[in-house]
Amino acid sequence: MTAERIISVVEDDESLRVALVGLLRASGYAGRGFASSEDYLGVRDGTCECVVTDIHLPGASGIEMIGLLRALGDDTPVIVITARPEPALEREAIGRGALCILRKPVEAKILLDCVVRALGA
Amino acid sequence: MARLDRAGASEILDLVHDAIIVRDAAGHIVQWNLAAEQHYGWSRSEAHGQRLCELLGCTAAAPVSDIENLLLSAGLWEGELTRRDRNGREMAVEARWSLRRDRTGVPLHIVETSRDISHRRRTEAEARLTEYRYRNLFQAMAVAFWEIDFSGVGNMLRALFADGVTDVRAHMLADRQFTRTAMTRSRVRDVNDKTLSLFGAATREEIVGGTVARFWPAESEPVFIEAVVASAEKRPHYITETKLLTVTGAEIDVLFTVSWSPESRKEGVILLGVIDIGDRKRAEEAMHGLQADLARAARISILGEFTASIAHEVNQPLAAIATNGEAGLRWLDRPEPDIEEVRSLSARIVADARRAAEIIGRVRAMAEQRPPQRTLLDVNALIEETLLFLRHDLKSHAIAVSAVLATDLPPIAGDRTQIQQILVNLAVNAIQAMADLPVERRRLSVHSVKAAGRSVAVTIEDEGNGFAAGAEARLFDSFFTTKPSGMGMGLRICRSIAEAHGGTIEARARSGGAGAAFTLTLPGASWDEAVAAPGEVDDHTKV
Repeated sequence: MTAERIISVVEDDESLRVALVGLLRASGYAGRGFASSEDYLGVRDGTCECVVTDIHLPGASGIEMIGLLRALGDDTPVIVITARPEPALEREAIGRGALCILRKPVEAKILLDCVVRALGA
Repeated sequence: MARLDRAGASEILDLVHDAIIVRDAAGHIVQWNLAAEQHYGWSRSEAHGQRLCELLGCTAAAPVSDIENLLLSAGLWEGELTRRDRNGREMAVEARWSLRRDRTGVPLHIVETSRDISHRRRTEAEARLTEYRYRNLFQAMAVAFWEIDFSGVGNMLRALFADGVTDVRAHMLADRQFTRTAMTRSRVRDVNDKTLSLFGAATREEIVGGTVARFWPAESEPVFIEAVVASAEKRPHYITETKLLTVTGAEIDVLFTVSWSPESRKEGVILLGVIDIGDRKRAEEAMHGLQADLARAARISILGEFTASIAHEVNQPLAAIATNGEAGLRWLDRPEPDIEEVRSLSARIVADARRAAEIIGRVRAMAEQRPPQRTLLDVNALIEETLLFLRHDLKSHAIAVSAVLATDLPPIAGDRTQIQQILVNLAVNAIQAMADLPVERRRLSVHSVKAAGRSVAVTIEDEGNGFAAGAEARLFDSFFTTKPSGMGMGLRICRSIAEAHGGTIEARARSGGAGAAFTLTLPGASWDEAVAAPGEVDDHTKV
């Protein structure tokens, strides 16, 4: 069996973060949880192959994080999750290069399909 | 015994308090003592030789000629006369006339002793007037009056004291049978017409002669006990609101007064005054209902202002539940299902479902329609819960919250939802006041302190643009608002809730910079409330 591929979840709501990490683990990935963009950026070590992030976060938002990563030359694919329909933010996320925009509650199959696409990219 | 000469006898007459006047058979005054001078104002020299009944008047119930005939035959007359003194003042005189004859039986002198009884007459007249006034009031006033013979209760109390009981109240509270017996020994001597109409009796006989027991519901026994205690402590009266029963057993709300005058106390008679306050009570209840409705409307309106936040707050655990469920299915779908993973996911699902239910519970409490209920509340717990309630709004507005809560606060007695409503309302106002500020100025501070007189003060401060100087008072007026979509009822309702709890709510400019500070002050629960109110402090209010 090949080594599990690492997916990071950036979500400030603890129970949802734990649930997303758990879903990824159940699906055969190594999930890691972070409570803020800053936490993720702080431990970024190049092993993570995909980031799943909430838009609304304390500190830099999920969308701002995409910009920061790209500015650092980091093109890890980013999947954005939104709490409510916010078309303007969704357009901005796509503009910044988000791979998928998903709405809460996220359907597992759709999320995992996105992850597969991210890892295949 | 030495004989007195005339002058000596005259001196002795001057020592007597009664007026002593001697007149000859024709009515001319021959003796006039010092007391006569003092009583009637005429000096001895002025009086001598005058005809007594011309000088002073001798008006009596019978003509003077009749009295003189009586005197001639019986030798003695006693009675009351109306006279005038030297100043013309009318006076009532109690007089005693005795006739002295010479040896042959010819009338010689009439000796009169008399005293002024005007004062006594006045007292009697006043007493009659007082009695008349009392009867008049008793009958004519729109108050139901009861005259109660309380002497039986007095005997019971004396027996108690003889047995060494000192605390009548405690004894009666402990011994309900004693209390009921005391009621059956409180006999009704009289009632007025208003009593008949208020208590639904057709005739006086339905009430008079009986006892007060049948008019006293069990729940009003403490009022009877207080009346007995007031009597035992010789207080002049005792007033309270209570419920009594009519002859048909219907409850009526009344203002109840019991009073004793020193005279009636001697006779063991007390006077009960009963005023129907049913209309006032009904009006009060209607007003309280209206206030509760208004407060609820305001709560729902606040809820409306952050439905999006509430939806988000509920959506978060729901999203977690769905995700955990999906993960669980995946563990089960593996060739070797991992039960331990599913077990821990199930536990998380349960916890998240509870969290969602709690949020919904808080929202529902705010929207609920029910009469206000008084319980003991921990203000700090309410503050924490309020911040939790608004957590998402505070977060999405990037507002930094600092809460400094005193640990020595007394509990307060109040309606949980309404007090929380005030806190939520003040916090929402603060959030909205800072919505357009630069992020570093978006600071909300909440602090609770123990204030004067064992009360609790909660201050909520924002660093927004505040309100115009002098607008402090108008902030609490109905329909005063600085918000484009505001109704201007929030603060008005907060104040009426605070006042209904015996508290206050005040606004002022924040000290040390721009912004507004609102202070809610509520009295700490009294000992009675702390004992009587169902305690929430130790169970539900914990967040």
